[in-house]
Amino acid sequence: MTTERNREVRVASGVEGTGAGSGPRTLAEDLRARGDDAVAALLLARPDLVNPVPGDLTQLATRAGTRASVVRALEHLDRFALQTVEALAVAPDPCPYDTLCALLTGDEGSQEIAAALPAAVATLRTNALVWGGDDRLRLVRTARDLLAPSPAAPSPTGLGPTVAEAAAGMSPGRLQQIVADAGLPATHDPVSAVAALTALFSDRQRLAALLAEAPEGARAVLDKLMWGPPYGEVALAAEPVRAATAETPVQWLLARGVLLPAGPHTVLLPRETALRLRGGRAHRSPEPLPPEVPPHARYDAQVVDGTAAGEAFTAVRTVEELVKGWDTGGPLVLRAGGMSVRDLKRTAAALDTTEELAAFWLETAYAAGLVASDGEVDEAYAPTPGYDEWLRLPTEDRWARLAAAWLAATRAPGLVGSRDAKGRTLAALGPDLDRSLAPGVRRRVLELLAGAPDGASARPEDLLARLRWERPLRGGAALDELRARLVQWTVQEAELLGVTGRGALSGHGRELLTDPDAAAARLAPLLPEPLDHVLLQADLTAVAPGPLRTALAETLGVLADVESKGGATVYRFTPESVRRALDAGRTAAELHGFLAAHSRTPVPQPLSYLIDDVARRHGRLRVGAASAYVRCDDDAVLSEILADRRAAGLGLRRLAPTVLAAQSEPVTLLERLRTMGFAPAAESAEGDVLITRADARRTPPRAAPVPVPDGPPRPDQTLLAAAVKAIRAGDRAATAPRKPAAQPAPHGSALPRTTSAETLATVQAAVLTGEPLWIGYVNADGAASQRVIEPVKVEGGFVTAYDHTTDEVRTYALHRITGVCELTEDVR
Amino acid sequence: MNGPLIVQSDKTLLLEVDHPSADECRRAIAPFAELERAPEHIHTYRVTPLGLWNARAAGHDAEQVVDALVKYSRYPVPHALLIDVAETMARYGRLRLVKHPTHGLVLETSDRPVLHEVLRSKKVHPLVGARLDEDTVVVHPSERGQIKQVLLKLGWPAEDLAGYVDGEAHPIELREDGWALRPYQQQAVQGFWHGGSGVVVLPCGAGKTLVGAGAMAEAKATTLILVTNTVSARQWKHELVRRTSLTEDEIGEYSGTRKEIRPVTIATYQVLTTKRKGVYPHLELFDSRDWGLIVYDEVHLLPAPVFKFTADLQARRRLGLTATLVREDGRESDVFSLIGPKRFDAPWKEIEAQGYIAPADCVEVRVNLTDSERLAYATAEADEKYRYCATTATKRHVIEALVARHKGQQTLVIGQYIDQLDELGEHLDAPVIKGETTNAQREKLFDAFRAGEISVLVVSKVANFSIDLPEATVAIQVSGTFGSRQEEAQRLGRVLRPKADGHKAHFYSVVARDTIDQDFAAHRQRFLAEQGYAYRIADADDILTGDEV
Repeated sequence: MTTERNREVRVASGVEGTGAGSGPRTLAEDLRARGDDAVAALLLARPDLVNPVPGDLTQLATRAGTRASVVRALEHLDRFALQTVEALAVAPDPCPYDTLCALLTGDEGSQEIAAALPAAVATLRTNALVWGGDDRLRLVRTARDLLAPSPAAPSPTGLGPTVAEAAAGMSPGRLQQIVADAGLPATHDPVSAVAALTALFSDRQRLAALLAEAPEGARAVLDKLMWGPPYGEVALAAEPVRAATAETPVQWLLARGVLLPAGPHTVLLPRETALRLRGGRAHRSPEPLPPEVPPHARYDAQVVDGTAAGEAFTAVRTVEELVKGWDTGGPLVLRAGGMSVRDLKRTAAALDTTEELAAFWLETAYAAGLVASDGEVDEAYAPTPGYDEWLRLPTEDRWARLAAAWLAATRAPGLVGSRDAKGRTLAALGPDLDRSLAPGVRRRVLELLAGAPDGASARPEDLLARLRWERPLRGGAALDELRARLVQWTVQEAELLGVTGRGALSGHGRELLTDPDAAAARLAPLLPEPLDHVLLQADLTAVAPGPLRTALAETLGVLADVESKGGATVYRFTPESVRRALDAGRTAAELHGFLAAHSRTPVPQPLSYLIDDVARRHGRLRVGAASAYVRCDDDAVLSEILADRRAAGLGLRRLAPTVLAAQSEPVTLLERLRTMGFAPAAESAEGDVLITRADARRTPPRAAPVPVPDGPPRPDQTLLAAAVKAIRAGDRAATAPRKPAAQPAPHGSALPRTTSAETLATVQAAVLTGEPLWIGYVNADGAASQRVIEPVKVEGGFVTAYDHTTDEVRTYALHRITGVCELTEDVR
Repeated sequence: MNGPLIVQSDKTLLLEVDHPSADECRRAIAPFAELERAPEHIHTYRVTPLGLWNARAAGHDAEQVVDALVKYSRYPVPHALLIDVAETMARYGRLRLVKHPTHGLVLETSDRPVLHEVLRSKKVHPLVGARLDEDTVVVHPSERGQIKQVLLKLGWPAEDLAGYVDGEAHPIELREDGWALRPYQQQAVQGFWHGGSGVVVLPCGAGKTLVGAGAMAEAKATTLILVTNTVSARQWKHELVRRTSLTEDEIGEYSGTRKEIRPVTIATYQVLTTKRKGVYPHLELFDSRDWGLIVYDEVHLLPAPVFKFTADLQARRRLGLTATLVREDGRESDVFSLIGPKRFDAPWKEIEAQGYIAPADCVEVRVNLTDSERLAYATAEADEKYRYCATTATKRHVIEALVARHKGQQTLVIGQYIDQLDELGEHLDAPVIKGETTNAQREKLFDAFRAGEISVLVVSKVANFSIDLPEATVAIQVSGTFGSRQEEAQRLGRVLRPKADGHKAHFYSVVARDTIDQDFAAHRQRFLAEQGYAYRIADADDILTGDEV
């Protein structure tokens, strides 16, 4: 067994040949035999293997066998491929294809499964989880360890250990008793006894014949354990029971070895028996085909596109309104990051929407890089320079930016307001909103909708069932729950953004999956044409029966308050809003002209009156800023100063006969007046006016937040090709026949020196074989030493090993191991 | 995609009235959307849960609503809104109030969790009795209104299938000799009768009394009519005797002075809400006869105690009549849940267009305060400011000029402050009717005004409601109850009765410029502006110089 295991990861040190068998003997060999395309496919399927690019195929195979990488690979399998792996994990190793097929289809056979299996096996091969020819399918050892049943974690199939494994601890005498009670001839040693029992339990007819004699209740016990977990709790499980003295059904089964003891109070149903009882099937319900996503409702494609375009338009407008509201300073950033609940509420009120939706728009704007924290001392959110660029784009491009950012974002706005594990409320724009599942789920949901017939919507439940099949998560219920919510959110958010309309994917939504620019182009003609007129009414409202031209909307937005939004916009004129327009530098005449020009209907008298009435009072009080003033009871003196050419730079202006206002500082003013021959006295600084600047606030240049995926990015073609090339080259170098290096004398000579790849491979091999190694090690203080260790586990860059030198178990950092060397037989 | 309707995100619907299919669209959306504003070009309807449930109660389903929205909408309707509509409507009727053969009134459900949810509410708990089975629970018969109100607030409106009692039968016929119910009155009566109970909204002067009479003729049962005051009670009586087969003896008046209970009894809100030693002694009027119909006149003024008592009258048919459902106290939804949904309304301008109410010219006259008045106003205490600016002496000249301008026409001067009215009465040489004027004196003055013997009458807010002054052509409002919108509507109603010679009515509001008087006026006018009665604004100087305004 040890040599078998060893092969899988054994370092390709040039000693391997093609061997006697025709198939590959290790994964590395298998990979070597595959074409470049296959290696590229592996790297594409498991991008974590490219980072960093492995030195050669042996290294690639080694890395593909690490626990972390295998777990990742398993997580990306669809349900049937996973079921295939699970079946392989309980199958003999190596496993012929037919055996595997039988495990999945069961005794009855199933066309569907048989048809789907080759593809599943191919996937597993591509993923380097399975290797070897069809006659000898080998599951990567790590995967087998992960999935094979153990007392701590029964196999996902619900199958337990084999008879051989379960009987490993039994005394030969007890085994013989069981053999005899099972009605088998006595054997000469435990190994053949186990073999005889295994043969009995694997044979359908003989097992049936044996169980036919079982007392009432025995079948019920077996039924209970059949689909797993295969363990049952009984009193005195380990007590040796003979058939003659068996009283209870459990004892009857125990006596004949149908159940075997697994502990003082635990019995187990061995794998062979369970499989026979199940009719040879490893899974109760194999799912060879993905569940269909049936169309929920169907709409005319035009309706879908129209609705989606309407929503897309609203989305762009909402985001614009949101960010514009922050022009003169947005909400403060909480110390822990994010926006306070109060600010979120305020934003929701400003957008006239719910807090959930406000959080969604905020996160969308953030994901698109339109808002960010300004990074000042009193940290606040503000629009980014990117927002100004975005504003200049046509509506369809603005939408495409938002939708593309949403699609790729790992942040899940739906989480805002919920609590994390520590009971803290998750804030909008705050930390801890990233969910690496999100972008995958979003894209996949849209792809599934894209796969549906035109104009068909799907129910979230059906979409979720499909996703569950495509990627059965191993993260437990919490992760699955998260995915269920993500699907729900995706469906809602896609609707809000106008990617879908009435739940069906729109034309531009379809394009979005491949090319946002094409999506924008597709959306453009669907957007409502901006209007250049409004309807004025005597109740002092103006209705814009559609989107307005930007310039018109801006002016009207100043002149009137928005009362209702949607397809149309309702504006209301109030004295305040009219005053605002006058403040912005418009005159009453201009406003009249503006309204007359843009109204389809005559301007109502109350509205014109309102404008005139506000204009009448506007500006009667004047406020200005001056830096200093000159006061003198004798206005002739002031006239004199004004007339003096030397006073030209002071910016003097006569406010009243006895008062001059100056634009220069009091000190300058005083000095200049003195040089002009006057004797001015300074007055206290009261009345000095502060000038405030009302610049639009922007952050320094900020990049949009980078999505945080849960693994390295998918390598692109260039990288892939380069990586494959590099691996091949490295491999050729490594496997080129060369003279065996002079064996270093194990003890008493210099430290062994090996490359880090070799070190890793050798240590990993040693873990499997349990062989001791001689290593050179440099400790944290830089002191070099030599040790003989027996590695137990290699993980995360550390080797856990039993150290013969110090007689204890400890861990070693892999990078500190200067070299390894297997010990020769005589030293062990 | 070029419909007359625009669906807004706040669930208002904008209807372009000049659109060719506007009428068709209005009919399609009227069952579920409330008309909120009806100015010249674009009418605003609002979709509320209440409106949707009323539509369900009237037999419309979500599909019809969604169809109407989608069919007439100019732009694509947001999917979320359609879903919301469907979900809201699906909440109606999950709970039903029915008559159980043995247990009397019960609340039953077709959706067990809903019943479970509402029974857990503390407000529902005291209203229900034993749980008969998983789906049924007994309701105390007296709490029928209360439970409906509570369930409505919980968002699970109950469908009331328990029916009405017929009440004591009494023959009542309309006597249509030389007149007939107008088409819209007919529609209103039918709408009400088929709906069971509910509110009819018609402009002042559009003949709400006749709608009441029509409903009585349908019910043919003893009727209790609740009105705002004695004058109005007399008018009802007068009108009923004239228009129906009822005789003087069959109609009783239940007021401060008389306590008659007859087959048709007209009671004032005031007497019902008179409280003595902590109880309302007159509320037993409701039980004194087996009434078949209860009519609430001016339902927007229904006082709170009557509300409470109305909750107990759910087995009787109820008709609410009003010109505006605007309640300054915001209890519109109580009206809906206790009296019934709105069964009929029509935009004022539409009835005006049919010639049933007079067209009115509304003018706001802005008066410039003198410098000394402005100074006094600026220094006045906050709670005195309105009174000061509303009663300034400068207004008087303008009012005199206005009265002079309409010399010979029947003119009402309406105000809030008695001092101001007395002073005006003196200057205009016109009688003043105020709270302390006796009913007899009032009737005498009104008769004289009707007969044309007096052409100018100064009235306080006692004349706000339900007095019939057929030939008042000009109304001049000098001050009001702050920003009360329904008062404004009522006052305008004074001049909207169709004129014999068909000429225009005039409604003036005299307002002090740049004061809170002007702000209140703007608020008061909003309802009318939204009904299409746009005010023109004129300067007092133009009036004083006699210019055309």
